[in-house]
Amino acid sequence: MGLEKFRASLATHDLIQDLKWSPELREEFAANEKAVLDRYPLRKDERHAIETRNFLALYDIGLHPYLGGQFARLIFGNEAGKGAAIAVNKLVESLQGKGSVA
Amino acid sequence: MAEIVYAAGAPHAPGLIGLLEAAPADVKDVVIHTYRTLADAMASAKADVLIVFANDHLANSRVRTYPDFLIGMAAEHRGPYEWFKPWIGCEDYTVKGSPEVAAALFDGMTKRGIRMFAQTENLKFDDNISVPVLLTNVAGSGIPMVPVLQNCTVPPIPDQRRCYEVGKALGDFIREDLPADMRVALLGSGGLSHEPGGARYYFIDEEFDRWFLDLVASGDHEKLLNELTLEKMEAAGSGGTAELLAWVVVLGAIGSKPGKSFGYTVHKDFKCGVGGVLWDMSPNMPKSRAA
Repeated sequence: MGLEKFRASLATHDLIQDLKWSPELREEFAANEKAVLDRYPLRKDERHAIETRNFLALYDIGLHPYLGGQFARLIFGNEAGKGAAIAVNKLVESLQGKGSVA
Repeated sequence: MAEIVYAAGAPHAPGLIGLLEAAPADVKDVVIHTYRTLADAMASAKADVLIVFANDHLANSRVRTYPDFLIGMAAEHRGPYEWFKPWIGCEDYTVKGSPEVAAALFDGMTKRGIRMFAQTENLKFDDNISVPVLLTNVAGSGIPMVPVLQNCTVPPIPDQRRCYEVGKALGDFIREDLPADMRVALLGSGGLSHEPGGARYYFIDEEFDRWFLDLVASGDHEKLLNELTLEKMEAAGSGGTAELLAWVVVLGAIGSKPGKSFGYTVHKDFKCGVGGVLWDMSPNMPKSRAA
């Protein structure tokens, strides 16, 4: 699975970039994810894929894989060899067919 | 005529810092030998400025307004950006910038028909700049740096021929526009094979990596431009391996010259093949470029 499904206009790209650029937004996302998602013009299937941690569906919709990897770290952990390793394994599990890894 | 006195390519996988201690001894040996050799060569070159080309990794710009080349013009470069610190596992660093060379580069590339963008504020650096800065001791050496963050992953991606053209313009800029006695170092930061964020996140294409290292060390740029296609790099690791386009920019600037590699290693936790090349920039080397 490469860049062939990439869709540059997807709103999830903005969400992920805002999350990595803003500690305050990350705190809010952890405490009240719905309120954060409400502020982005997400498609219904796009939002559902985020809520169910379905990276496979997000990639099918057009999420850039590099930002997909970062989204996994934003959700599951970002520390080298610890949370980041869990994030990679969860992401791969989803992409290799499991879909939702909530 | 300013002179390119140092040219190298090396990966910047974050694990090279945060996960190095836990790596097997033979892996550590290759990593430490490679970057120490590149650092020693950089120090010996006595360069006045280091220009680093590296994948931006979608760290600085929206996908909808994504530049192919973004020059860092700051007087001081600080990194890594806050969110990347635990992921890389590295210390904070500050590197002196060169606003004058950065401005000249921006003007010089614009004049040569190469669209670059430039930013005076500090860029957000992840492993792209942080790893080479720390492993080749740029931070400690005091050499001023001009980072150029490159689009290696957001389609449409400037391919190997375009990046080589950019490199040729870069070489012309260095020789014609910079002060006559200036000594310039070039580093292409990125690769080797890896697939960050992909279904094959742990995939490392050892065959591709060894082929690539041998090819760029051979100095055969015609073969490089004919065979190092985006399709080939995507097959060797989607969204990551094409960071080698940063090396191609450097090669376009220096022309065909032999280089030396310092070994190659794979380690699953790095999720990236590791090996670097230092090209021979001694003045008696013949200069030729692929068409």
